[in-house]
Amino acid sequence: MLTHAQEAAPPSRTVVLGSRGFVGSTLLAHLSQLDWPAEGISSQALDLTADGAAESLAAQLRANDSLVFVSGLTPDRGKDAATFERNIRMVRAVAEALALQPVAHVVNIGTDAVYSDDANPVRESSCASPSSLHGAMHLAREVILTDVCRSAGIALVLLRPSLLYGPGDTHNGYGPNRFARNGPAEGKIGLFGEGEEQRDHVFIEDVARLISAVLERGSTGVVNVATGTAASFREAAELVAELSPAEIAVEGTPRANPVTHRHFDIAATREAFPGFGWTPLRDGLERTLAADAGSAARA
Amino acid sequence: MTVGFLGLSHLGLVSAAAAAAKGYDVVGFDESAAHVERLRRGELTVVEPGLAELIAAAGARLRLTSDPGDLETCELLYVSVDVPTDEHDASDPAPVERLLLVAAEQAPAGACVVVLSQVEPGFTRAQRGRVERDGRVLCYQVETLVFGRAVERALEPERFIVGVADSVIPERLRAHLEAFGCPILAMGYESAELCKIAINAFLVSSISTTNTLAELSEAIGADWAEITPALRLDRRIGEHAYLGAGLGFGGSNLSRDLATIERLARATGVDAGVVAAWRAHSVHRRAWPLRVLHERLLGRTARPRVAIWGLAYKEDTQSTRNSPGLALATTLAAAGTEVAAYDPEAEPVTIVSPSFRRVDDPFEACADADALVLATPWRSFRDSEPAAIADALEGRLVVDPYGLLDAGRMAAVGLEHARLGVPLPKVSGC
Repeated sequence: MLTHAQEAAPPSRTVVLGSRGFVGSTLLAHLSQLDWPAEGISSQALDLTADGAAESLAAQLRANDSLVFVSGLTPDRGKDAATFERNIRMVRAVAEALALQPVAHVVNIGTDAVYSDDANPVRESSCASPSSLHGAMHLAREVILTDVCRSAGIALVLLRPSLLYGPGDTHNGYGPNRFARNGPAEGKIGLFGEGEEQRDHVFIEDVARLISAVLERGSTGVVNVATGTAASFREAAELVAELSPAEIAVEGTPRANPVTHRHFDIAATREAFPGFGWTPLRDGLERTLAADAGSAARA
Repeated sequence: MTVGFLGLSHLGLVSAAAAAAKGYDVVGFDESAAHVERLRRGELTVVEPGLAELIAAAGARLRLTSDPGDLETCELLYVSVDVPTDEHDASDPAPVERLLLVAAEQAPAGACVVVLSQVEPGFTRAQRGRVERDGRVLCYQVETLVFGRAVERALEPERFIVGVADSVIPERLRAHLEAFGCPILAMGYESAELCKIAINAFLVSSISTTNTLAELSEAIGADWAEITPALRLDRRIGEHAYLGAGLGFGGSNLSRDLATIERLARATGVDAGVVAAWRAHSVHRRAWPLRVLHERLLGRTARPRVAIWGLAYKEDTQSTRNSPGLALATTLAAAGTEVAAYDPEAEPVTIVSPSFRRVDDPFEACADADALVLATPWRSFRDSEPAAIADALEGRLVVDPYGLLDAGRMAAVGLEHARLGVPLPKVSGC
């Protein structure tokens, strides 16, 4: 599902929209390690929902830039129509900016929530039929960006990540991050039901590496960001308990919702990047716990 | 009676030689004089076990020619050219139409002309006006050629399926078919044309079901090879069912027939969503060796080197169309993985990468490689000594989807033996 436009070559400059978020900040740190030219634009520096945002953004872009669009209000900031509308205003500003000042390559960071809830295993060819406003918003963003990039002759790649975890998470949603952050402090990890749900948990630094890989190859198309190996929330919680020096009890609760699983078939990623290695959940959680412990010590 | 075969590609050549073996005088015609000359010199352009011997045994009963006038004595003429397909699996019937015109011009009055080529439903009826004059009749006959087993199936067919205009098989055709001693089924043109596609659709259905359950076996710790004998004893499934786990379906024939089903279904409003599922699953399974390599080698080794045995899409053929081995070699080489490939018969392949090389010896491919993938189930691969493989390989991983090599002997020499239908072996040291 990905087509590479070039042999591996760093982009002349990468602009990251949403640079203070979980993905954006990790990506900027990774690009810095690679010594690739990069600029971050945060929501504080440029409010994409404000009047004149498109013109302001266009003024900061160059024709040979690669633009990574990761700005957005995540579900923990709201799941309602108002949040949907604000997120769409952001992409509208980006689309208008790209029409004013086309760039070489756009990388959109979306979500696997664009897929139907019963897609299993999820592939890039799976039906995109979101059940949430969050998923619908990301699908609408993809359509809007596809349209403007086609008109402006811009290479576009759409990344659809699964659940992300790792140091620097700003959301604290249910899953490995919350387990790693709250488990050692509270001495227990509470699961929904018995935590049976299987999910594909992706270490944040792998996401940054994959983004840099598509930047390097000028890739176009659609690709899911998943490891191809799912684990249950209970497995993740028990790994945290095992890896943490603190005593942590993993506790189930009466189940309120039916168990659902989500697996990914990542053949397209393997074919596009056969040499790309994913961080195993154990290793990723170990590094997350170490980073959290370091943050706590500094605090 | 003299029987003519027009079009001497794989289908025509095998069919003509089989007719000669049954004692008929056969004229084998091809538009290409150069191709006929090569065949006369015994140079076959297809790999098919037993075909060279069958042609040699036919002797003077099989006359090869590029002169259409030689068909004038044929009272039964088969148009037997293989229909080419494009990258979207769409058929090009032009060669069949051309040869039907040759048959119509050369066949004597009252002759029977039979379309044996792979045509879509509706084709034969549309051609009647071009052929049926002076007492000539046009029929359609289902071909059931299987690459690698074509000679055996041509000499001892399970049955003949004939499409006719009025439910009666012309006497000349019936007399010819009866020489093979198997059931003969007559039906309308469209039924026979769809019957050919239906056979392949059921094969794909079996392949897809088998591969789905084999993958489930891998995931839950079952062994698919233990399950298949039980299925074969079930009369509703049968001893000859396609129950061997594989890497999807390759070649062009099955894909072409699925494309035809999808096209006809779109045109008629029939729900053929199951065909899309079969296709998707085939692509999914074809990537299995890459998945194993990815989990065990790629991304963990700085400059991985992979040996691939098998570029043909299956054994006993030179075709590489939709070949898992070729797909794997292409993907790996494009990413800079060093690939050395060996195949005893596969046609020349084009992989433009300095990382790819094709070698003439299987163990030369293995030299210094981190892993070996047996991508085609050639019989000769089954005879390979695990100890020799272990000696030649630098690494320990052998990806053997079809289970060509004995699991116990592979383990005994310290090789990690990954097979379809069973869980992956545990990583050494874990």
